[in-house]
Amino acid sequence: MSDRNQLVKENFINFVRSGTLPTSNCSLTPEAVGLSAQEVVDLFETQVMSRHLDLQSRVMQKQGKSFYTIGSSGHEGNAAYAKAFRPSDMAFLHYRSGAFVIQRSKQIPGQTPIYDMLLSFSASQDDPISGGRHKVLGSKTLAIPPQTSTIASHLPKAMGAAFSVDLAKRLQMDAEMPDDSIVICNFGDASSNHSTTQGAINSTAWAAYQSIPMPIVYICEDNGIGISTSTPHGWIAANYQNRAGITYLYCDGLNILDTYQTAKQAEYIARVQRKPVFLHVRTVRLLGHAGSDAEFVYRKMADIEATEFQDPLLHSARILLENNILTAEQIIDIYTSVESRVAQVADVAALKPKLETAEQVMQSIVPPARVVKHQHAVDDDTRSALFAHEKHNLSKKQHLAKLLNWALLDLMAEHQNIVMCGEDIGKKGGVYNVTAKLCDRFGENRVINTLLDEQSILGTAIGMAHNGFLPIPEIQFLAYVHNAEDQIRGEAATLPFFSNGQFTNPMVIRIAGLAYQKGFGGHFHNDNSFAVFRDIPGLIIACPSNGADAVEMMRSCVKLAQEQQRLVIFLEPIALYMTKDLHEEGDGLWTSDYVPPKDAIAEVNQKISVFGEGKSLCILTYGNGYFLSRQAEKTLAEQGVSCRVIDLRWLAPLDEQGIIEQVKQCENVLIVDECRQTASISEALMTLVHEVYAGSDKQMPNMSRITAQDSFIPLGAAAYHVLPSANGIVEAANALLQGTAVDQQVKLASSK
Amino acid sequence: MNNVSQKKRAVVICPGRGTYNKEELGYLQRLHADKTEIVSVVDNYRQSQGQVSIAELDGMEQYNMRLHTAGENASALIYACALADYQSINRDEYDVVAVTGNSMGWYIALAVAGALDAKASIELINTMGSMMTDGVIGGQMIYPITDEQWRENSETVTQIKQWLAEVNQAPENEVYISIYLGGYLVFGGNKSGLKALEQKLPMVQDRYPMNLFNHAAFHTPLLKDISTKAKSILSSELFEAPKLPLIDGLGQVWQPYSCDTNKLYDYTLGTQVTDAYNFSKAIEVAIKEYAPDKLIILGPGATLGGAVAQCLIKHQWLGLSEKSDFIAKQKADPYILAMGIEEQRKQVVAK
Repeated sequence: MSDRNQLVKENFINFVRSGTLPTSNCSLTPEAVGLSAQEVVDLFETQVMSRHLDLQSRVMQKQGKSFYTIGSSGHEGNAAYAKAFRPSDMAFLHYRSGAFVIQRSKQIPGQTPIYDMLLSFSASQDDPISGGRHKVLGSKTLAIPPQTSTIASHLPKAMGAAFSVDLAKRLQMDAEMPDDSIVICNFGDASSNHSTTQGAINSTAWAAYQSIPMPIVYICEDNGIGISTSTPHGWIAANYQNRAGITYLYCDGLNILDTYQTAKQAEYIARVQRKPVFLHVRTVRLLGHAGSDAEFVYRKMADIEATEFQDPLLHSARILLENNILTAEQIIDIYTSVESRVAQVADVAALKPKLETAEQVMQSIVPPARVVKHQHAVDDDTRSALFAHEKHNLSKKQHLAKLLNWALLDLMAEHQNIVMCGEDIGKKGGVYNVTAKLCDRFGENRVINTLLDEQSILGTAIGMAHNGFLPIPEIQFLAYVHNAEDQIRGEAATLPFFSNGQFTNPMVIRIAGLAYQKGFGGHFHNDNSFAVFRDIPGLIIACPSNGADAVEMMRSCVKLAQEQQRLVIFLEPIALYMTKDLHEEGDGLWTSDYVPPKDAIAEVNQKISVFGEGKSLCILTYGNGYFLSRQAEKTLAEQGVSCRVIDLRWLAPLDEQGIIEQVKQCENVLIVDECRQTASISEALMTLVHEVYAGSDKQMPNMSRITAQDSFIPLGAAAYHVLPSANGIVEAANALLQGTAVDQQVKLASSK
Repeated sequence: MNNVSQKKRAVVICPGRGTYNKEELGYLQRLHADKTEIVSVVDNYRQSQGQVSIAELDGMEQYNMRLHTAGENASALIYACALADYQSINRDEYDVVAVTGNSMGWYIALAVAGALDAKASIELINTMGSMMTDGVIGGQMIYPITDEQWRENSETVTQIKQWLAEVNQAPENEVYISIYLGGYLVFGGNKSGLKALEQKLPMVQDRYPMNLFNHAAFHTPLLKDISTKAKSILSSELFEAPKLPLIDGLGQVWQPYSCDTNKLYDYTLGTQVTDAYNFSKAIEVAIKEYAPDKLIILGPGATLGGAVAQCLIKHQWLGLSEKSDFIAKQKADPYILAMGIEEQRKQVVAK
């Protein structure tokens, strides 16, 4: 333990014994705030436990038994506000919340917080929340989903969870959280500057401003410094005091009486009035940012010492003494007995087993299956009413957008927990009418027009999923997801992993994207990169190329989310939404019949589809590439090339077995990828085939690929300079068959 | 680490009903002849109630099943033996860091932890033990949920809970889980309910399901009236803050400085009487939150040893994963020290 740790530890005893204690302007008594003497001692005991756990983690790190020492020292006042809330109020907590967790654990008998946290410090697979995957604070029993966030990326989902509580009540849905729940979400002063915080608080206020219930208490624990950067004096209050739609409260987090009393006020506003609160809590940071942080490098010693003297434990000791609750020696007795107890438990916890294999580590990437409780069959009359506006069209072939819209109508009728959210998806029905009529049929509670903020859209969905909803959020254009992708990568996808499968947030994220739109050009509406999703463990990516597949695949995606709790991206090729014809105008070859639910396949089908039986050439492609390849196939057939065209359909995980089965039957393989040469799925396909053949004595087929350029998509016809075309595919196929290499530039140029 | 004593840290476990059997007859005389104070406080109180003295019961030549197991006698006898054992723990060698108990053992735990003084202890224990003198309410039945190696089978538990629900479908039946007792479930219920459950439970080890003689349906809603009666007889002023942490039958820890004695009273005569007693949880909390060097089970008897060991196995404590591991560990360096077992007792008491 460094000198500073030792000093802070020993100062407590010395200061209490000598009566050298920090003063306070607050004159509240336990009685005045509704706390008994025993409850004040209980809060102090929690604070002491949290402190000694912090100190112990640093001892353990020195011994090589602990790996991440960020702690709660100086923030132990959060014990007092933990007491103000119910253990069923879902709490999204930042990493300085040890005392909160301990105090909440006392509200449900039989918890073992000291042991559990020490297991977490030592990364033991017995750690009941993460199974040894991270030092996270969390507990299924205590309604604390684990957060790994250090930068407030948990705020959007807290906002979403809060929104979902009253939504469930309005929809009379049997949700995870009780109807009168509120949501707690804390974070630091430095994190309050992050765009995720700003976005989440803005969204909360935006909703509350229009009287939508938002029962949430945001708690900013302001210790005045973010690692080494000071927060400007008064900044938090100035920044949050006068926000529309949100009540600002302040308390001194060093004083457990003030904190408890103010938190109770916050609780009343959130629980009874169903309105959001920004609770600004003054704290100090002791023992540096983390164990590795040499505070003296950037902070004056006098500042460090002054801060240490404001130790919340010393303030609590003063309260105990001033109110004649305990003597100095009794306070010290608590302090030293907890210290030895924590040390003793640490010795045992450090010996518990660790994760030993990759398989064990990865076991919770995919969450466990669950029993579906919100699904029911829809009778014919209900369905007729649902489709009344389309009764003359139902028997006719339709394009992708219409078919997908119908599939969503049926799915929403069957699954009462489906809620959609996104920009303009309500009355307008989305930019491309994919959500047309859904709002009319299912109401504004289930088809929600959000504000313009992708982080908030995804956060809303994640939060709702925590409460038992099956969200289908929409991202209006693929390019827009990039400002919010951490909500998928860092939050949604990691939740089962870091909670050992106990917390999940299944959903189907619809994203309209990819290029080739006619008349609506430019990068932001024609983005052709989804590489950002490809390396996210456990994520499923579906990409239909036609209406029939869109229907079948959307149904599969909902099953995957509903039954297997999977996180799914449903990537919709905008250019194919309204496409009806394949080869010539009026041929209608890109339209399909709508398969009603009663005739739908029951199982999830995550396989490729195959067109043609040719053996000379196998084209591997998807989305717009599939459409173009089908056009090319006709030309190639006319040229005497026997071809088969594979629609990958599922881009993660790839149906590797299905792909290889097709490849093995062909002499040549052409990969057609409408996304960029770099980091597009063409690279994975190339690698897959090579790796399969590398270990085999069979002759590998000749291979080449045609992809988009490593460019952004420009406006107008210029777009086609950088995208594959049907002609380009034909040319590349011929070159491959003839064994001549074609420069990528040539392939694309010939498409003009 | 400073301030860590070199003494062994022990959690003390107090025994429940059914621990003063034939073999324990004369326990006080034999082992605690020096602790006349304990016996006299108990017997003074019992004399005032017109009850037979425990000195006499302990000194009888013959063990009398009906007499010695009757609640009004067994409770006081077991309490006196346990308290005397507690006082015999060698304090030069052991620091008691927490106290817990099973079922009636909760009352003894209150006593040894100092939440009740000597007079209050016997008043509470004798009163609660005498609640069934007008007739035992319902009964208790015990059934194992582990395999022969003491590994808990979660499917068995699920199945049993399902049977329990089925039995309770019949309006005349009322059965509950009364105690989570390590590798056993103890059921409490009315006669017809217990009989119906007995018929569903497959017989195992040639003796289970086993009805517990002279036991009432403790820790179930059937004792709601007893709870009310107890609160009318016994005052909350009997209680004071414990001197040691107390772990109750929900796994809650009552700390000396933060204990609210009114809440402790409510738990003891309310929840504890009418809701399931989760001894397994109490042991789990004891080992995980205190990491003791030893678990000391007070006498008389040593019947809790198996249940405690089954809890250790459930949590893979000390690397124990089955009965044979536990037996080997006990032979080499016993972790559980049952004072009702002569060899283990020697390790606890002053030489």
